[in-house]
Amino acid sequence: MIEYVGENLLAGQVGEFLIALSFVTSLLASVFYFKASDLSTKLDSWKKLARVFFHLHSAALLGLIGILFYLIYSHSFEYYYVWRHSSSALPMQYIFSCFWEGQEGSTMLWAFWNVVLGNILIYTTKKWEGSVMMVFASVQAFLGAMLLGIFPFDIQIGSNPFTLLREHADMINLPFTANPNYLEFVEGNGLNPLLQNYWMVIHPPTVFFGFATTLIPFAFAISALWKKEFHAWIKPALPWSYFGIAILGLGVLMGGAWAYEALSFGGFWAWDPVENSSLVPWLILVAAAHLMLINRQKMRSMFSTFALTLFTFLLVIYSTYLTKSGVLGETSVHSFADGLPGQLIIFLVFYLVLALVLLFKNGFHFLKRSEEDAFWSREFWIFLGSLVLVISAFQITLSTSIPVINLIFDSQMAPPADPIAHYNSWQLPLAVLICLFIGVSQFLKYKKTEPKKFFKQILPSVAVSILFTALFIYLLQIDELFLNLLLFASLFTVFSNLDYFVRMLNGSVKKGGSALAHIGFGMVMLGSLLSAGNQEIISKNRSQININFEDSGDANNENVMLIKGDTVLMDPYYVTYNERKIEDKFVYYHMDYLKVNENGQYVKQFSLSPYIQLNQQMGNVPEPSTKHFWDQDIFTHITFADLENLDSMSQEQYREADTLKLQIGDSLFTSNSIIQLTNFERNIDKESLNLKEDDIALGVNISAKTLEGQNYQATPIMVIRGNRVFSIEDEIEELGIRFSFSGIDPDVEKLTILIEEKNKNAGDFVIMQAIVFPYINVLWIGIIIMTLGTLVAVWNRFRLKTNS
Amino acid sequence: MKKSHIIAILMIAVAIGAIISMVSDAATYADFSMAEKMEGKEMQVVGQLNKEKEIAYNPDEDINSFSFFMVDNNGNERKVVFNGTKPQDFERSEQVVVTGTVKEGQFVADKILMKCPSKYNDGQAGELTEITAESNS
Repeated sequence: MIEYVGENLLAGQVGEFLIALSFVTSLLASVFYFKASDLSTKLDSWKKLARVFFHLHSAALLGLIGILFYLIYSHSFEYYYVWRHSSSALPMQYIFSCFWEGQEGSTMLWAFWNVVLGNILIYTTKKWEGSVMMVFASVQAFLGAMLLGIFPFDIQIGSNPFTLLREHADMINLPFTANPNYLEFVEGNGLNPLLQNYWMVIHPPTVFFGFATTLIPFAFAISALWKKEFHAWIKPALPWSYFGIAILGLGVLMGGAWAYEALSFGGFWAWDPVENSSLVPWLILVAAAHLMLINRQKMRSMFSTFALTLFTFLLVIYSTYLTKSGVLGETSVHSFADGLPGQLIIFLVFYLVLALVLLFKNGFHFLKRSEEDAFWSREFWIFLGSLVLVISAFQITLSTSIPVINLIFDSQMAPPADPIAHYNSWQLPLAVLICLFIGVSQFLKYKKTEPKKFFKQILPSVAVSILFTALFIYLLQIDELFLNLLLFASLFTVFSNLDYFVRMLNGSVKKGGSALAHIGFGMVMLGSLLSAGNQEIISKNRSQININFEDSGDANNENVMLIKGDTVLMDPYYVTYNERKIEDKFVYYHMDYLKVNENGQYVKQFSLSPYIQLNQQMGNVPEPSTKHFWDQDIFTHITFADLENLDSMSQEQYREADTLKLQIGDSLFTSNSIIQLTNFERNIDKESLNLKEDDIALGVNISAKTLEGQNYQATPIMVIRGNRVFSIEDEIEELGIRFSFSGIDPDVEKLTILIEEKNKNAGDFVIMQAIVFPYINVLWIGIIIMTLGTLVAVWNRFRLKTNS
Repeated sequence: MKKSHIIAILMIAVAIGAIISMVSDAATYADFSMAEKMEGKEMQVVGQLNKEKEIAYNPDEDINSFSFFMVDNNGNERKVVFNGTKPQDFERSEQVVVTGTVKEGQFVADKILMKCPSKYNDGQAGELTEITAESNS
């Protein structure tokens, strides 16, 4: 038995106890809530007991989270999770990102939000408490099982975040496990450099908060079908559904903001499987919540409402399965690989079967007795809109699930080679429909509207939208049909809702939550199509020295090579690569963006410093730098930089000298200039050079002209003192060239000149890409308005509920 | 015919359309010899970089010309040409996925996905990097 030094074993033991406690208490709470699920507000002993256990569960989970945070904070690398996801060099703000980088931490984050919401629901759901909380507690048991890390009958159930490093399966029998002092030299593996970004501190908790809120309408729908209380559940579930829309929508789009800021693919949405799988539940939640609105008016489309509400949460589990089971494998940039696929499938299948059984047993009759909605009614168009959202979600899910389809059917499909074109070919037309339906239905009344009156009311919005569409097409010269259609449709959404907000609601923010949210949605669509559909790559390869003249028909020319000091045209700017700076583990490349003024001078407009984050263990990561203007962004990132000789080059040493025999009048190229020996210099100020009176000194004037036309001068000197010859070198600092004049052959008048150049002149170059994203601010402002508008609507509903 | 029937038929039609478009847009996993037989068709090949052979990238001459030799999972080796910049840290990759077509005996990739090993992790959970060449087609 080895006595290991410095391990904090107590924290892990307490943690493991709390895992077991939180799992058992959630199971018991679920069982007791089942006993108390009879839709009465009576606080019987089962319910009391269930509450006690749910509170116990909450406390255990919070303790568990606290301990893991503490272990990361104190760099307790004796724990595998801490070692795997953090390092002692990591800045403090990223301990949050470390916490939820792994499967266990993100499961705990999800369970945390369920606990927060569960404790609110206990005191607000009244007669629904028993059944709703039974569902909540059971989900907590499934999540808790993901943390168990036990092996009954050699089957792994869960993965324990408190596993010791030396006991982890990957480490067994490694030499360090026999060293009692191993902690003295063990250093954490560190956090993936892509996650070392402030968006990664706030994006995951927001998405998981959104995921957690989808459980509320799900739990209500299950309760309603189970207890055959088909209508009353909508009132309490509705505001929570919209709350979920606000939070999950914000979280998903924050992921886009992270991708735009920190990833180098140039854009905020790339139809990556992980992005897709968080967007799909949002789409279905939006569809479900809008059907709930119809249902509040009258019993309509009940089957669809139940089905969509149930599927929102099922898709959240499916999304977790996709991202955490490793099934995406090589198809996604950011999927986890160390998940527990079997357990996630059981989690999904359990609730899928439960939902389907209840839906078809108790909800099927709704399909039969459906009467038709009037064509000119708000509910009809909302229903159509929801169907379009379902189609959109179906298409995204289908194509994202290619790896799953391969698994089931043993097929050999690979994801589309051009995912953006593939998804856009479907999603653009669907987005056009959604935007048009939003605009139209705002001016329709529930039940029936007089078509004439409707057309009269909607006319101004249509007219203004056509006007602005024409203006944008003229200004931006958008020539793709569907982009033009979406331009009109999104403007129509914005203007019709604005009109509705101002004329019908008199600009009352309190009542206008939904109108504002729809304006925000229209702006998100507008901003995406203007910025992504109309982005311009300005780093075109136009005038390069050493350009390859071979005909390479399909070569792309969207990258530009910049040698340090070079100035290259990237219309409308000239870009100079100025300097490389190494700070800690970041290599910054400073780029100046210049414009030519009327006098022909280059004037600096702004600087950007894209950088590369050096990371030995996980690979170096280039990160972009973006200049934000009100009407456009200029996005710049490094596509290639030579990082191999970083150390030697950073010192900017002179390379070995070239010794040349030259005559006056000769000229030659260096890496960044043309030099010429102009004439001898005989007037040499011996005193200032500390030379003796009888020394013979001869200088040679050398002029250097850069490719940009600037002139420099140097005068190296040869000195003869008695029978010794030595030279006084001269340097042109700006160009990094040093000259020595070390000898002269009088017969042929050849001078011996030594030329030394700094390393950077030849080796310091980068290849970069610059993209202009016009009007991307419309997108960001749209996100804020959409979120705030939805929250206002939620707040208004909660207010009405408590007043009534 | 009721409105709901029309909508139901439309929904089914659109769903079938989505399935067809998924199948037709999906690339196919293949090895190099298969990709050669299907010359001109978009294929996705999984394999490893041959670190013994030349990994050619000379930005001085052409910044958008990069080539290397890759061995697919069935042991076939081919030269892969990529019209784009060399992915950062490419030599470290332990698995490479290329998407593209065979043209005149070479595999012309328009997308490279590489998986780098995590030093301590026996390559279990590598980090993925995706590099796409935006061919001007």
